[in-house]
Amino acid sequence: MKSGLKLAFLATASALISTSLAAETLFWSTQARPIEETQAMREQVLAGFDGAVTFEPSDEGPWQTRLEAELQAGSGRIGVLGALHGNFTPLVEGLADLSAVDVSAVAPGFVELGRLETDEQKYIPWMQASFVMAAHRDALEYLPEGADLMALSYDELIEWAGNMHRESGEPRFGFPAGPQGLKHRFFQGYMLPSFTGSMVTEFRSEAAEQAWEAFLELWTHTNPASTNFSFMQEQLISGDAWVVFDHTARLADAFNERPDDFVAFPAPSGPAGRGFMPVLAGVAVPTTAPDMDASMALINYLLEPETQIATLRATNFFPVIDVELPDDMPPSVQAAGAAIAAMSGADDALPALLPVGLGALGGQFNQIYADTFERIVLARQPIRAVLDDQAEALRRLIEEAEAPCWAPDAMSDGACPVN
Amino acid sequence: MSDVTIAAPREEDVHRAGRFVFWAGIALLVLWVLVPIWFLFVNALSAPSEVTSFPKRFWPSFDLASLQFFWNFQGVTAALWNSVKVAVLTMVLSIGMGAPAGYALTRFDFPGKEFFRILVIMTRAFPLPLLALPLAVMFIRTGLDDTVLGLALVHTMLALPFAVLITFSLFSGIPVELEEAAWTLGCNRLQAVIKVVLPLALPGIMASAVFAFVISWNEVFAAAVLTIENRTLTAFLLQSLNVSPLPLKFAGGVALVMPALIFIFAVRKYLFAMWGIANR
Repeated sequence: MKSGLKLAFLATASALISTSLAAETLFWSTQARPIEETQAMREQVLAGFDGAVTFEPSDEGPWQTRLEAELQAGSGRIGVLGALHGNFTPLVEGLADLSAVDVSAVAPGFVELGRLETDEQKYIPWMQASFVMAAHRDALEYLPEGADLMALSYDELIEWAGNMHRESGEPRFGFPAGPQGLKHRFFQGYMLPSFTGSMVTEFRSEAAEQAWEAFLELWTHTNPASTNFSFMQEQLISGDAWVVFDHTARLADAFNERPDDFVAFPAPSGPAGRGFMPVLAGVAVPTTAPDMDASMALINYLLEPETQIATLRATNFFPVIDVELPDDMPPSVQAAGAAIAAMSGADDALPALLPVGLGALGGQFNQIYADTFERIVLARQPIRAVLDDQAEALRRLIEEAEAPCWAPDAMSDGACPVN
Repeated sequence: MSDVTIAAPREEDVHRAGRFVFWAGIALLVLWVLVPIWFLFVNALSAPSEVTSFPKRFWPSFDLASLQFFWNFQGVTAALWNSVKVAVLTMVLSIGMGAPAGYALTRFDFPGKEFFRILVIMTRAFPLPLLALPLAVMFIRTGLDDTVLGLALVHTMLALPFAVLITFSLFSGIPVELEEAAWTLGCNRLQAVIKVVLPLALPGIMASAVFAFVISWNEVFAAAVLTIENRTLTAFLLQSLNVSPLPLKFAGGVALVMPALIFIFAVRKYLFAMWGIANR
């Protein structure tokens, strides 16, 4: 009886232990995580690939932990990695050289970012996105006189938000300041560059002080529940916010569900220009990939024009290569595409790049901007003192990383100065 | 109670008020649990446009689009099955190891007993994201990676402290005299445990098994790192749900809550039994 039990247990244990040794390429991604995007990636984007692919999206924490475990163990299952530029920077050592992949069709600036400041091609640009503004059509009647929606200034935006607040009785501007919200990108790539022409160097300048004062004013017309908002499409649809700022992929649902109700438009401009931030996602291969050839084949497939268009439909991230977009794209793509084009094509356009050269310190860099927001706007601490304080933290961080300046800050010898 | 005689006329009032507070408290607690679950179901069974509209409906419109999308989402059924396998295995392992440990803590004095009790709780002192990396490295090297057994072992580690401590208090509540009586009637130590102690403790043991089941069912991080093809439902869904549109969040919420609810409902009499014993 006893030995029978033991045998039965061993049998189940061995049955549970045996894994299917699949010859599929595992595509381990932090992108396309929302369930509908995952489904579309599998059924519309990757179904056309010759080999077998398993697309597994994952939170950034488990994504990185799993990858590090495989690198440390010296063998792994992951064939291809998909992630944002910032996800790759702490992992340079574990990424295989992809110089063999033909990237001639990809924008050279993106290819350069993909080298992660090494001599090797660490990741291949995969898709891009940006942040834009969106509004409910009802909000347009409150636009200040003479303001051009496609070329707003920060002053006009504040006036607009104020009009809505006064005349509708409620603060109607919405800002993604929630736990999953991308507020730091607004300060890094939009507000501060627009006012100071800089992301880092002029962090505590007088112009930056004015920027924060302007934001404080905007905040008085902002839905106070914004500290819970992370995906502004939800508040657009529910009506909790009429005018919002967010990532194009996080606005897509609003346009696709009710295309006639919403408009997308460029981010506003400040005294120094119209700051905006392109977001870049890439694909890479870990050095422990089980089948290097299959991984390379998948990456080549992802760069094909048809795949890039299918990816755009699936994820609302735009192609990194020059392709002619068909006319039947979803409303979200048409709206966001027009807004991005107007933004990057504006006379006063001021592109601000994702942080370069910070390596593993990228997360702390974001935290500095988020902390500054919390202290000034939520805790109401004096702007000057907070900026001086956080500038010190910023300087320490940049010096620790020895990161030279990146756009829009002027090139520097050595670590980027924080004046 | 000394002034009971003075306040005698009002005693009934006091009782009535007490009863009222008692039932109001119960109603509040019941609503506290049921209202969110009710809204979860209403929203999961409503059309997406109704979910985002206001005011909220009280009765669902029985639009199954969200749930249907969910059910057809590739891998949901496999993940559900994996969750059940891992949870059951966790349950078996944690009781198989936890109950003997709990018994030993009750009935025997051994050197380092107090230290052992602290040690058991210590396993919960380290956050899983910290442990996941070395665990994953070890699992990949030993071949436990991406297996149901490997994940169940990790979950057992999480559930074990509770299993040990719950069974410890269970066994403490069963008088040693009963066992001694069994010995005098010819049982040896093991027989006494199996024939006398276990039947008395069984409901409580089942309850702590349910607890282990729920711990395993709800665990995300280890499951997300240690499995790829054999993902559990929680790991499979939770990471996607927090970035998905609202209607799908509700549908996914139902998919996650439903099986656990059914399971707990099925074993509810054991849960109540544990409270009975603990109060003895």
